[in-house]
Amino acid sequence: MAAASKDLKIREFPVEENPTEHYLNAGKGLKSWLFTVDHKRIGLMYLASIILFFFVGGMLALALRIELWEPARTFMDADTYNRVFTLHGAIMVFLFIIPSIPAALGNFFLPMMLGAKDVAFPRLNLLSFWIYSIGALFTLYSIAYGGVDTGWTFYTPYSTSTGTAVISMTLGVFIMGFSSILTGINFIVTIHKMRAPGQTWGKLPLFLWSLYATSIIQVLATPNLAITFLLLILESTLGVGIFDPALGGDPVLYQHFFWFYSHPAVYIMIVPAFGIISEVISTFSKKTIFGYWLIALSSLAIAFIGFLVWGHHMFVSGQSELSTVIFSFLTFFVGIPTGIKILNWIATMYKGSIDLKTPMIYALMFLFLFSIGGFTGIMLGALSVNVHLHDTYYVVAHFHYVMMGGTVFAFLAGIHYWWPKMTGKMYNELWAKIASVILFIGFNVTFLPQFVMGSQGMPRRYYSYIEQFQTLHQTSTVGSWILGVGFIIVGIYLAISLFSKNNRASSNPWGARALEWMTTSPPAHHNFNHTPVVLHNPYDFHKPISEFRLGIDGSDGHHSSEDVSTPKEVGDKV
Amino acid sequence: MANQNATHGESHVAHHFVDSEQQLDSSKLGMWLFLVTEVLFFGGLFVAYIVYRAWNPELFYMSAKELSTTLGAINTVVLIGSSLTIALAVRAAQLNQRALLSRYLIVTILLACVFLVIKYFEYTSKFAVGILPGEFYTYEGIDHPGAPIFFSIYYMMTGLHGLHVIIGIGLMVYLVVKARAGTYTAAYYTPVEVTALYWHLVDLIWIFLFPLLYLIE
Amino acid sequence: MSGHHIISLKYLLGAATALVVLTIITVGASFIEIPRPFDLIVALSLAFGKATVVAAIFMGLIWDKKINTMALLFSLLFFIIMIGITLLDTLYRDVPFWIYS
Ligand code: HEM
Ligand SMILES: [Cu+2]
Repeated sequence: MAAASKDLKIREFPVEENPTEHYLNAGKGLKSWLFTVDHKRIGLMYLASIILFFFVGGMLALALRIELWEPARTFMDADTYNRVFTLHGAIMVFLFIIPSIPAALGNFFLPMMLGAKDVAFPRLNLLSFWIYSIGALFTLYSIAYGGVDTGWTFYTPYSTSTGTAVISMTLGVFIMGFSSILTGINFIVTIHKMRAPGQTWGKLPLFLWSLYATSIIQVLATPNLAITFLLLILESTLGVGIFDPALGGDPVLYQHFFWFYSHPAVYIMIVPAFGIISEVISTFSKKTIFGYWLIALSSLAIAFIGFLVWGHHMFVSGQSELSTVIFSFLTFFVGIPTGIKILNWIATMYKGSIDLKTPMIYALMFLFLFSIGGFTGIMLGALSVNVHLHDTYYVVAHFHYVMMGGTVFAFLAGIHYWWPKMTGKMYNELWAKIASVILFIGFNVTFLPQFVMGSQGMPRRYYSYIEQFQTLHQTSTVGSWILGVGFIIVGIYLAISLFSKNNRASSNPWGARALEWMTTSPPAHHNFNHTPVVLHNPYDFHKPISEFRLGIDGSDGHHSSEDVSTPKEVGDKV
Repeated sequence: MANQNATHGESHVAHHFVDSEQQLDSSKLGMWLFLVTEVLFFGGLFVAYIVYRAWNPELFYMSAKELSTTLGAINTVVLIGSSLTIALAVRAAQLNQRALLSRYLIVTILLACVFLVIKYFEYTSKFAVGILPGEFYTYEGIDHPGAPIFFSIYYMMTGLHGLHVIIGIGLMVYLVVKARAGTYTAAYYTPVEVTALYWHLVDLIWIFLFPLLYLIE
Repeated sequence: MSGHHIISLKYLLGAATALVVLTIITVGASFIEIPRPFDLIVALSLAFGKATVVAAIFMGLIWDKKINTMALLFSLLFFIIMIGITLLDTLYRDVPFWIYS
């Protein structure tokens, strides 16, 4: 193939602004959406679904907080309360946060950032969306059937003996697991095989490195979730007895199985968020990312270490003393790659020209909130501290700081960052800023008191409490209302932006350098009308933007495996 | 997608790939990643097996005596044979020998059916004496309270494996139909190749199930 | 290119023969009285040998891109992690940790 590179011509492809034809109007009608294999449309369908489930989960959360207004019963009984927090947890974890960034934003931007026309297996991608929907239907069925009262962890033996809809619920999660696996496989293959000419691993945007690490976790951990729930289902239907002490089984073994998936799963939730933060911080600091390889490889390190620490959820479950000590020891190692990332982001901002646009504001909030979440995780990983804090509100506050303060705030950063690219429309910057501040305040008012309550001994998953905690609980409830208001504002201005007339976004409103900004907003049906060629790192802000818009002359949008000429040669031709 | 093949002379290359090389490589890597998930999926059951065997070694020695080594060994050879024939099928496709391709696929399907028939007789003879999974277990020939757990593990492992055999048969029937229609050529045989990979994995798992379940003496 | 390697008949038939021979040895070994942990070790080593033959020749890993071999090895590694660390619990349930005792 080297021979062909001689007559390979490379030229600049300036971007057409305000295109009349793009992926959104490439086909019309419901069918053109439901049966599309376009990764962008599939990404948007995922986005719509997860927003729906975020809304449902959020309403359940508001109900929980209202119930906690009074020390005793406020408006629901203990049984209902158990069902509501289980549904809240299961919906937020399995239906919202796990698919959130990878399946919605990842699907949309992964091929674009590679300069590819689609993911490697477009039909598998659509299948994965449908599998997700079927799994979601099972979940809805379980709600209609009376819900589940086990908590999202489905611990045995309670889950195999409670009369609630555990089987249909776990079956739903089992099915959704396949969707997660298919997305993971698709992403790994796409990143390996479909990079644009010239895009070496060292020029891969960091969002893709993080999706790559996430996909590896999805592929390695999710099968274990499937087998866990299969065993759980067989346990309650056939009484196989692996997990049931009454039949000679061992309930702690269930917890091993469950957390072997679910601890890595928390990295499925947070690692994509790291990727968004890397993109946003670099773009809005107008500065090359500091420590590119450290950030890229620390994602892989986190993915790996994440598989070694699951037992920190089981310190007081009766596992052997030897393993508690080892798990506690290993848990601290997770902090190292995470800390490396945070330091690199801060170093990126140092002496950058920081532009406080909405995505950047969310990224800064992320840094603040996620750090708190991470540090309290380290606290919880300390064995003796954990004995006191396990199953208290301290844990609840910890994981909300990482999952909501971390992942959801990064997700919001990503939505605001890529909104103009996805929709071709710009939202109202002022309202976006106002909403971000409201969300930040609401979040902290809701969850900071929970750290205090937890360390004072308020246990989690109770619908009543002693009066001493009332002020803190009520503060937290008020905070949840502030959060609700914040999300409503976000929903309103984003919706308005879609229907307004005079807010068409330019192709590259932030002056970013990654490939997805080098095509129209919204993107063309096949992303690019030429085969992009990559010469520089996507964070080389000191290089002229024209050198990021290169493509193979005369190509019809297909990749070519030809070698790419050096910048010097290109300079002659451009 | 409507215009899937519009821009290509080679009609089997989907629009987003450069050439069939990239397409085959991608499909193979995708299949290997899927096999990774299969290994870890079965891995969960192997973990249960190992944990319980480490807890009750006696139970495993006593219970495994109930299983027929002969039938297990025959099935092992049958699966090895089917692995060979599907590898030959891939070779036939690569060499453009279409008739041979569907013949080898059919032999593979037949061997898979032999495997299932033997499994069926094994299962029914166990059912007949009350060796059933979980709480339906009624057999009294094994003097160990954990016997139902051993057989639950046995049924889950072989059952899940059997399910994979059935899925494999389905895939190969599809391949035969397509092969008869002349879809696969030396230039395009990706589905044959990836199905073969899947089938070899089914064989691989059995290679471990056989000594672990049948050969504990 | 590597993706289109055609495996020669010699290799395929050789692999099948090796597998059948190894199966016979496995079954034969199970009839010999081997003391406790070693019977399992022998059986598993033979199984790993057979698995290697299937993966290397039938599945074509020898001729294929290295990434595919890596994928398979990774699945093994993570299986070992799971069982290894789980055993640290299940085998040591009643053993007090030396710091505490
Ligand atoms: C610095 C890294 C982290 C460390 C060291 C850490 C440590 C811990 C520990 C020790 C617990 C167990 C507390 C207990 O139940 O006693 C825990 C719980 C939890 N963590 Fe983290 N964590 C970290 C990051 C994360 C991240 C990034 C997420 C999610 C995005 C997360 C989500 C959770 C969840 C959901 C739980 C509670 C599970 C439950 O029992 O329902 N953690 N964490
Ligand atoms: Cu954890």
